Amino acid sequence: MMNTTVIELTAEKPQPAVPSAKLLKPLTGAEALMQALVEEGVETIFGYPGGAIMPVYDALYDYQDRLNHILVRHEQGAAHAAEGYARVTGRAGVCLVTSGPGATNLVTGIADALIDSTPMVCLVGQVAMKLLGTDAFQETDVIGVTMPITKWNYQITSADEIPEIIAKAFYLAQSGRPGPVVIDITKNAQVELMTKSFHYKKCERVSTYRPRLIPKQDQVEKAAELINKAKKPYMLVGHGVLISKAEKELLAFVEKTGIPVATTLLGQSALSDDHPLYTGWLGMHGNYGSNVMTNQCDLLIGIGMRFDDRVTGNAELFARQAKVVHIEIDPAEIDKVIKADAPVIGDVKEVLNRLMPLVNENDHTAWRNEFRKYDDIEEEKVTQPALAPTTEKIKMAEAINLLSKKTNGEAVMVADVGQHQMMTSAYYEFKKPHSLVTSGGLGTMGFALPAAFGAKVGDPSREVIAIIGDGCFQMTLQELGTIAQNKLPVKIIILNNNYLGMVRQWQQLFFERRYSFVELQNPDFITIAKGFGIVGHTCAKREDLSASLDTLLASETPYLLEIIVEQEENVFPMVPAGTSVADIRLE
Amino acid sequence: MNTYTICIFTENTIGLLNRITIIFTRRRINIESLTVSETERMGVSRFTIVIKHDSREAVEKLVRQIRKIIEVMAVFGYLNDEIVSNEIALFKIATPLGSKPLDIEYINKNFNAWVVYWQLDYVVIEKTGSEKQIFEFFSYIKPHGILEFVRSGRVAVGKTEKGLVEYLPEYEWEYYL
Repeated sequence: MMNTTVIELTAEKPQPAVPSAKLLKPLTGAEALMQALVEEGVETIFGYPGGAIMPVYDALYDYQDRLNHILVRHEQGAAHAAEGYARVTGRAGVCLVTSGPGATNLVTGIADALIDSTPMVCLVGQVAMKLLGTDAFQETDVIGVTMPITKWNYQITSADEIPEIIAKAFYLAQSGRPGPVVIDITKNAQVELMTKSFHYKKCERVSTYRPRLIPKQDQVEKAAELINKAKKPYMLVGHGVLISKAEKELLAFVEKTGIPVATTLLGQSALSDDHPLYTGWLGMHGNYGSNVMTNQCDLLIGIGMRFDDRVTGNAELFARQAKVVHIEIDPAEIDKVIKADAPVIGDVKEVLNRLMPLVNENDHTAWRNEFRKYDDIEEEKVTQPALAPTTEKIKMAEAINLLSKKTNGEAVMVADVGQHQMMTSAYYEFKKPHSLVTSGGLGTMGFALPAAFGAKVGDPSREVIAIIGDGCFQMTLQELGTIAQNKLPVKIIILNNNYLGMVRQWQQLFFERRYSFVELQNPDFITIAKGFGIVGHTCAKREDLSASLDTLLASETPYLLEIIVEQEENVFPMVPAGTSVADIRLE
Repeated sequence: MNTYTICIFTENTIGLLNRITIIFTRRRINIESLTVSETERMGVSRFTIVIKHDSREAVEKLVRQIRKIIEVMAVFGYLNDEIVSNEIALFKIATPLGSKPLDIEYINKNFNAWVVYWQLDYVVIEKTGSEKQIFEFFSYIKPHGILEFVRSGRVAVGKTEKGLVEYLPEYEWEYYL
């Protein structure tokens, strides 16, 4: 049998798959859980112990050589770290926490993972089955609480269920449109012995769940026909392309068809930023041409994206003139926001492979060049002023732009939420796929610091740089402790403007400069880092910026660079919420 | 406002009702009636949910969101003219000594309702039919004094040649009987 390991209750001959003699005896639920994670190929767990998960932590003690457990400082950190890990590896991030507050602290991260289609398996302790519903110590209805924010959740109440349910959890989290799964494990199920042999078989199908990976041929043909007929086709690339690991297929498709491409925020880095057909990114703070041309193309090809309101602006005024091809794995996304003339349901890679032979080689240079006049305007009105050293303090765009050059656009950028996030997306020139990790759908402040070390654990070979605002940093800064303890060489940049910058920008533009609770009295971030054992320094002067970034990048240990930036810098272009992309503002 | 009847086939597991209803709650759609029971196939439940909505598109989106639930096998949405549907109602009617006698034969013939239980002081009458038919009977019987009245949710089958179960994923089903 493939992917199967059987550990007999009374094994007489030694079996190679058995890692320790102890497993020959009946396993406890906690041991079965550990063994299941090993069988599933899990390498790293982000967790925090507590009462109702202690039997599992006891079993983990014997599995330290096979499972790398990273002790976070707050369960929210575990959830975001698992997301960061999942986003760079494509495999489910794993969280292990206790019941009650341990579980509820995960909630923000779970909601974040759902809306950004990030695979995650959360293993949560629960009070013993006998105590369920008695308001026992640290009892929370975790199944009820996480129901609306999980792809699937399940409560395990007996040890025997563990292998099968864990296999199902990983399959559901990682297949189709990925998402978070919560497994609530009552304490009795952790402690009791299994009554049958431990038997782990990776889950390959669930009868009631059949994500369509291979598209229907007639849908592909209809899409190809529209693509071949279009005079001004335009492709919007989303996170789905990266989830499907279809960057090569995308590149081949784009080069054959000659279609200009924009990405969504989470689609960034699916196509190298220096590709001649790449027009920029879309959305509220996306590029001028990329946004405006959605209302001028004759065919819009949405691929692995969901027409989020931050992309469409007012959806009623979005791309009304265009036919729409929508390539998407989740049927519920079809017609949800934008009506599709030719929906293609399937995995992006499978769809592109089937579209390739049906689409004509084409050249849309003239159409591609129509974007350039907007690029020129944006360059003059937005980019040059944003990069020009005209202010006393450093501008965010300058810092990101210089960082992009120094890292050759090859780092994994983990951006928090706000102005610095938009600046990272706008001014970092991504050259390699899977290089922007950020909270897109939920916009979770505090995401970046834990997600950054999660990403570093997931792919230690890559430089991981967190770009964090002074507001965001104070939401999860305790994770500096995790970074220090585990010696994770994450590079942290705080762009400090002493404001909740994006809120301040909105207050300036839409609330008559009534700055309501956006100014921060910040701590000395460098001293805080030092307290955690992390070195760093502050860069307040433009002439020090280059050397400061060099120091940061050269560091072999975690490093914190605080850059004091212009206080009232605004992010443009901007499509004000609820307006048409045609109403985009450049200043 | 149109009335839609949504039929959902699911695994018969704990918490699934909650998972389904929160999809309605989040979209501020009120559930007018809801009936759930296990089908002839072991472990397969059938939900019949009635809602009112003015946008067919919104109902279609709702149906697609319900389909996303892992344990849901199939979801079907119908307008009233696409289904045959019924409800069941029980009426507990006071029959104290000296009260106006119930004309059971008339009730049988004209309302298709039956006495299913009787005691000295009351009888229980069962009436099946549409919501309208049940309330017509309600008006007729009201002067007799209704001690208690209960109406089930709607159950419905589609006006198609195929049975809905034929749309379920292939599986080695175990049947009752």
